[in-house]
Parts: sequence; C-alpha cells; structure tokens
Amino acid sequence: MTADDQSRARYLYAVCRGLERSAIEDVTALDGQPLDAVCHQDLVAVVSTVPLEEFGEEALRRNLEDLAWLEETVRVHDEVIRAVSNRAPTAPMRLATICFDDAAVRARLREWYVDLTHVLDRIEGCAEWSVKVVAEAAEPGPEDPTSAEVLNGADYLRRKKVEAERRAARDSSVAEAASRIHDALVLLAKASRILPAQDPRLSGHRGTMVLNAAYLVPDEEQEAFAALVARLCTGDDRVVVDSRGPWPPYSFAMLEPR
Amino acid sequence: MTSAAPAKRDLAPVALVDLLDRLLGTGVVVAGDVVVSLAGVDLVEIRLQLLVTSIRAEMAERRRAATR
Repeated sequence: MTADDQSRARYLYAVCRGLERSAIEDVTALDGQPLDAVCHQDLVAVVSTVPLEEFGEEALRRNLEDLAWLEETVRVHDEVIRAVSNRAPTAPMRLATICFDDAAVRARLREWYVDLTHVLDRIEGCAEWSVKVVAEAAEPGPEDPTSAEVLNGADYLRRKKVEAERRAARDSSVAEAASRIHDALVLLAKASRILPAQDPRLSGHRGTMVLNAAYLVPDEEQEAFAALVARLCTGDDRVVVDSRGPWPPYSFAMLEPR
Repeated sequence: MTSAAPAKRDLAPVALVDLLDRLLGTGVVVAGDVVVSLAGVDLVEIRLQLLVTSIRAEMAERRRAATR
C-alpha cells in the first residue's frame, strides 16, 4: 500500500522474526481484510489495511469508547497475534497502532531495529503465563457492627483496635503468601512483570487481588512452571491462585524507553 | 538470523479484561507508531489510559447487569 490513498492506513499488529508468508495466508484481519507482511532485513511487520474513517485519530477517539467496537478490535488483534506467535518469535504491538502506509511501517522497523531485535531475543522460545493471587474475602467478625451503639465509648474503641490489629495481621499474612508465590515462580521464569491488581467487578473474582503478575516462561520450563503453580496453590488456604497460559508474550514486548 | 521453526504451542485463550490490561495498559506492550504521524504518541497514549478508566466502568456495569 502506498500513500496515494488518503482514506486508508496500515494497522500494525506485531513484528516477527523470520515469519513465513504462509503463516498469515488464512487469517482474516480487521475489516475483513487479509494480512500482509512488510519486511526489513529479518523483521516482518504483520499489517492489514484499515479505513481511516474508522481508525483515524478522530474516529479512534470515538471508537475506543465504544465497548462493542473495542471488544471486537481487541479480539481480532488477539487472533492475529496468536496465529503468528505460534509460528515465529513475535512482539505484539499495542492496540490501534496505525501507520500511514508501508513506507511508514518500514521506517519504524528501521528505527526500532536494535530494540525489536532485543525484544525478540528475549521472547523467542517463551510464552507468557498469568498468575493472579486472590485473598479470600475476610470472614465477618464475630461482633455485629450494628451492636456498636450499645457499647460504651471505651469498649467501642477497644474493639476497633482489636479489629484493626486482626485486619493488619491478616493483610500482612496474605501479602507474605503472595510474595512467597511470586518468589518461587520467578526462579523458573526468564522475566516477570507485576501488573496492577484488577477490579473484581471486571475479573469476576471474589476477594482482594493481591498479585497480578505475568511470567515469561521458556518452552522447556512450561510443565515445571504449571506443576509449581499447582503445588503453590495447595497448602495455603489464605489465598486462591489463578494461573492461565501459555499466552503470547503480551507483557514482555515493550521497547525500553530511550 | 532465522531460527528453526519453533514448536507449535497450544496457546490458551486470554480473557478480555486481561487483553485490555496488556493492549491498553501503561507501557506494557510496544508503544507503536500509534497515529504518530497524525497526533504524536504522547497524546494518543494519554488518551488511551484515560479511556481505560471509563471503559472499565462500563464493563463493570455490563457485568453487573449480566449477573443480575
């Protein structure tokens, strides 16, 4: 695609190394378009054509707030990433990475060549695992808080203090459980990232998420990693561990800021 | 440098909330050309972060409605 067409642009899904063209032949991209490859040396940018009336700056501002549009776009983006990351080392791009044309894509590959090579070296032969540790919702205290009004002031304060101490002990014990799990998993991972805890209203978990981590696990360690997670899950009733994977290395493809 | 074709993995599905964390989250994935030529990366990235907040609120609302 060249810059002649002002109404369309290139959506950049991922940069791969040594991707064979056959890997993208049967994948339907956004807007029902086929995937294309833009190459620079051994790097292959996986792109498709999108209309600017949907992916231009103004349109993106509008569309990113449309949950149905966002969900569909995220899903297609993910399908493309999965298709190629099964076939070659793949650095996924952020959602809605738009270039004007193939020349702009190639310019990016040139500009980022060294960084992209480092990223691809890091993630090659690895997959991402998500591990979330959730503390069960606190047991309601023995005392009914509505009975507080029948206490005198000193008793009320004393009870508040006991409750606060109990809560603090519980929090630190849960944090200790989470860091024990993280410390163990890190040993089998090539890299790890701690992500912000998720809102239970979104993830649907019960209780408090005390760890939302991503681990970059070498293929040969996948089984050991899964087994370790399973072992860490049992024998600790303070927390519930939710482990998912293998995933494309979404959390490990960022370029270091310069 | 072309590596031998890696073994195919059976990648597991990723939940929407986890994808949003990774695809819109702060600095998690490669910050792209994102409409660079149109607006400048910073503007777009800041907007994405702001958007995540409102999107999450909307998702939470929808989930609540679904479980009612």
